[in-house]
Amino acid sequence: MAQWRSARQGADDAVRFSRTLFLMLMAISAILIAADRREDRVAAVTAFRATFNDLSLPILEAAAQPLRGLYNIGPWWRRQIALASEIRELRQEMAELRAWRDVALTYSEQMRRQQELLNLDPPMPRNRITAWAVTETGGPFVRTRLVGVGSDHGVSPGYPALNIYGVVGRTIDVGARSSRILLLTDLNSRVSVMADRSNARAMLIGDNTDFPRLDYLGLAPDIREGDRIVTSGDDNILPRGLPIGEAVLDRRGVWRVALYSSAAPIDLIWIWPFSPVSPPADEVPPYIGDMVPPVSPGADDVSGAPVELPVSSAPQDDGTSGEGR
Amino acid sequence: MRATLERNSTWPVLTAIALTLVLSLLAVAAPLRLPEGQGFPAPLFPLIALFVWSVRHPRFVPPWLIFIVGLLQDLLTGGPLGMWAMAYLLAFAIARLRSTEPSAREFILLVARFSVMTGIATLTAWAAGSLSIGRPADPTSLVTEAVITLIVFPAFCWLFARKRERHTFS
Repeated sequence: MAQWRSARQGADDAVRFSRTLFLMLMAISAILIAADRREDRVAAVTAFRATFNDLSLPILEAAAQPLRGLYNIGPWWRRQIALASEIRELRQEMAELRAWRDVALTYSEQMRRQQELLNLDPPMPRNRITAWAVTETGGPFVRTRLVGVGSDHGVSPGYPALNIYGVVGRTIDVGARSSRILLLTDLNSRVSVMADRSNARAMLIGDNTDFPRLDYLGLAPDIREGDRIVTSGDDNILPRGLPIGEAVLDRRGVWRVALYSSAAPIDLIWIWPFSPVSPPADEVPPYIGDMVPPVSPGADDVSGAPVELPVSSAPQDDGTSGEGR
Repeated sequence: MRATLERNSTWPVLTAIALTLVLSLLAVAAPLRLPEGQGFPAPLFPLIALFVWSVRHPRFVPPWLIFIVGLLQDLLTGGPLGMWAMAYLLAFAIARLRSTEPSAREFILLVARFSVMTGIATLTAWAAGSLSIGRPADPTSLVTEAVITLIVFPAFCWLFARKRERHTFS
């Protein structure tokens, strides 16, 4: 029963730090660090992380609730003034947006007619998945958020995540009830983007600063300060046209992006289901082979005859391309 | 009878250790609803909690507990797995080279010792994290984190020392 000595007596004890145990734990740490490298992460580690996130989610959600409540605490009159100011701004914004709504409706109608003419059958847009961030971490190695939706809610790895202003990042480590969002500012984030004005392509590279870097711009990039930067979709990771931010030039002359999503806390997040376009399986489209009529024995007049394809054999979108592409 | 009394005095300590460690880990990962870029690194609350308890009750802070706390911090924050586990272990191992703990009333000595531990933990985390990402990481954020930790630590240390005095003279 020596181990059940009183707490005060225990405080005066000399520290016991077993060398063997210490070395063993250090070795385990080193193995874990090696196994958790983002580029070549062991699948078991990803699964372990996702399971841990699922298990810890209820506790983290419970811890986040009071913090959300604290945000709303304040004198009644201060909230009324803030609300009045917000209503004024929203009214003005609504008046400006009416004109844009007309433009959007016109383009929408034009697109519908063009799709009809081209006999396109675009995939039905899927509903966005709403989630709350339950953790907030920053640091030199990682910029992520944990959200309370996972594969049970239809989330898959790689889905884009947005807040009300723009792209926040994309999903990684997806568990059954939780997912981790890799932010655009994270060191491991690479997103193909373009300038809305000039279509100049670039790669948005997170470097754990608040303004991710624009790289691979070419020799004379057609980018100006204030250009709206959107996803280009070239990387087949995120769909085309999602708002990212504005181009800014830092003091060292490096192009960076002031993220739209930084205008508000990354708290309420929308995850947009997106399926990347799968690469073509064969050089010859399979539908042509399907349309060639079988050669019946004895039929000698079909060799070399051109095969007229019916109109309905035009390639149909099989739903693998996401909305926005 | 004596065994029962000892057990009764042990459980509150274990409960307090468990509670403070859980709270310190939650504090590191809790969403503060600050826009990206306007936030600041949270202090290393788990290191503070481990240090305070290791001074008060070293028996209850074995290496495996330090390892688990570090590992939980890595999992909760989404950082490289094993990074803070290794950093805390090494910091405590080096800080414990002395055979006995200083008295809790030796405020300056405690702060100095914690500063050394924070420095070791930060340096180890930077090295382990840099190995994980495959290139030297920008240490600014880690250094800021360490400085914020050292700024808030004296408050915890003062509270802890005051409580200790009450225990001693009561």
